[in-house]
Amino acid sequence: MLKFKPLVPVFIIYIILLLIGATIPGMWQPIMFVMFYIAIGVALNNFLGLTGYVDFGYVAFLAMGAYGMGVALGYFTYLGTLAIALGFVLALVFSTILCTVVGGVALRLRGAYFAIATIGVNEGLRYLIEGARIWGGSEGIVLSGKLRQTFGPEFANFLSTVFADVCLIVVVFIASIVTVYLINSKIGYALLAVREDEDAAKIMGINVTKYKLIAFFTSATIGALVGASAWTLKLTYVFPEDVFFIHYTVEAIVIVMLGGAGTLLGPVIGGLLYGYLKYYLSVILPGFQLLAFAPLLVLIVVAFPDGIVGYLKRKLRNTKVYEYIV
Amino acid sequence: MVIYEQLASNLIYGMLLGGVYGLATMGLSLIFGVLRVVNVGHGAFIMLGAFTAFWMFILYSIPPLASIVLALVIGLALGFVIFFIVMKRLIDAPELSTLLATFGIGIFIEELAKFFWGPDYVGYSWNIGSISLKFTEVPLTKFYAFVSSIIIALVLYLWFQRTKLGKAIRAVVEDREGALSCGVNVNMIYALSFALGIGLTVLSGVLVTLFTPVGINVYMGGDYTLKAFVIAVLGGLGSPWGAFFGGFIFGLLENGSYTLLGLIPGVEPFGLTRFVSFAGLLLILLLKPTGLLGGE
Repeated sequence: MLKFKPLVPVFIIYIILLLIGATIPGMWQPIMFVMFYIAIGVALNNFLGLTGYVDFGYVAFLAMGAYGMGVALGYFTYLGTLAIALGFVLALVFSTILCTVVGGVALRLRGAYFAIATIGVNEGLRYLIEGARIWGGSEGIVLSGKLRQTFGPEFANFLSTVFADVCLIVVVFIASIVTVYLINSKIGYALLAVREDEDAAKIMGINVTKYKLIAFFTSATIGALVGASAWTLKLTYVFPEDVFFIHYTVEAIVIVMLGGAGTLLGPVIGGLLYGYLKYYLSVILPGFQLLAFAPLLVLIVVAFPDGIVGYLKRKLRNTKVYEYIV
Repeated sequence: MVIYEQLASNLIYGMLLGGVYGLATMGLSLIFGVLRVVNVGHGAFIMLGAFTAFWMFILYSIPPLASIVLALVIGLALGFVIFFIVMKRLIDAPELSTLLATFGIGIFIEELAKFFWGPDYVGYSWNIGSISLKFTEVPLTKFYAFVSSIIIALVLYLWFQRTKLGKAIRAVVEDREGALSCGVNVNMIYALSFALGIGLTVLSGVLVTLFTPVGINVYMGGDYTLKAFVIAVLGGLGSPWGAFFGGFIFGLLENGSYTLLGLIPGVEPFGLTRFVSFAGLLLILLLKPTGLLGGE
């Protein structure tokens, strides 16, 4: 159980957030907004943070999840509540297919080449869906009418409010447990070696490809579940323009870097800060949140490449709190 | 016969546009070749060039071709500023840092532009007649844009081949340590190449507006960033000349395939053309990462 100690501060943060949302009127939506950013941060961190590879097309996995759920609810609505279960299954199937393709093709590349290839995958997929008119093409899938017809207005409403939020919360908790497992297991050590020096790791006999694929797959799966619950179930529509929007990838990267890449607590704190700031900036300065975030991103990269948690870890070395911060 | 004429006129258009695409990608390739940094904020600088052309035309009725010089100066200055504030500290940093930094800079420029100029599409109309061919009309503005990009690329080529600074830049691309030990001031070359890369990019933004004079918008750059990636990879990342020829290939393929894909019923040729170009990008990266024209 010792290695799960670092989960304590993470779960405390989650529970405090949920309590604030549940008890203070009007706070539930802002809290779920923050939870979404924590979720994509934690999900991306499992790949970007652990391997050091920059995936600029990460949002494609959220899109696959969103489309999985969208296809299930849009084309198999007659299955009733089973369609929701099918949605999660399809979300996983779609993201696994994409993961296999990208993992087999792009993961052979490194650094800048990998980043460019992933942008290519994301945009290529989006334009394939729009150009070949797959799943409604650029008109997307609109579900609200169908859901109301099949499930009745009350249950449809329940799905898009309570159920979608509960799903997202469950995903966030699971994602953190998975991260702590990855970091503390043999996989985590192997990935650390890859991150520091991939060639050296290879020579030391580490099956580099295998561990990179594990991290990639984990991260993609969590991303797909987030896309299925926080986008399709909650918003009841899927538009290719929205779900492949590259800004979500960037936001996730900012969160990971802000909090500290490769740490458990990092993306949680990063997501919390980013989500909170974004929510209130969008109230104070609607439309100009990015103007505040872009210099922040550059500043973090130049001055604090380890992020908040990386900085804390260095400060708190040899204290009692240290083992709780991973 | 209509389809052949349509194809021919689209190919001519593609070739003219391809020259500008090539020039617009040379800056990206130059920066990658010298600094090993992918400028993910590339498109933002093209947008700056486009707005330079727009404001010069609207405010002082200066024709876009004359704005080229101003755009180059703005770009060079901006390049030096960005290099000394940000990039200089990231020379030996991992890719993650440089990718994020250039991305952040790109977004910052776009958001600043939006703050001052608003999010709406703007445009200008500069009509100076056209060349009449048998099956199509080629507006002179586009023709001049094409000629300008070829002249600029040629001047640049001669500068790289003949001058001492040009040779120094090529030496750094070839072997950083070797150049350093031969007495080349590598840091100065980094700064110069970055500034030159940004200058070229802003400059090409002016020429881009000659093709889409009413499509000027603060977020127009994203599209060109993605195209520039495809073109740069096509020509072999890091080789400005490869990029220039890659631009031609891309322009021809893009416009040719648009015509042909439009023949398939029930599809959206615009989206499919994009899909084809990104699929091509992946294939080249996989099979021949040094680019179609690259050697080793």
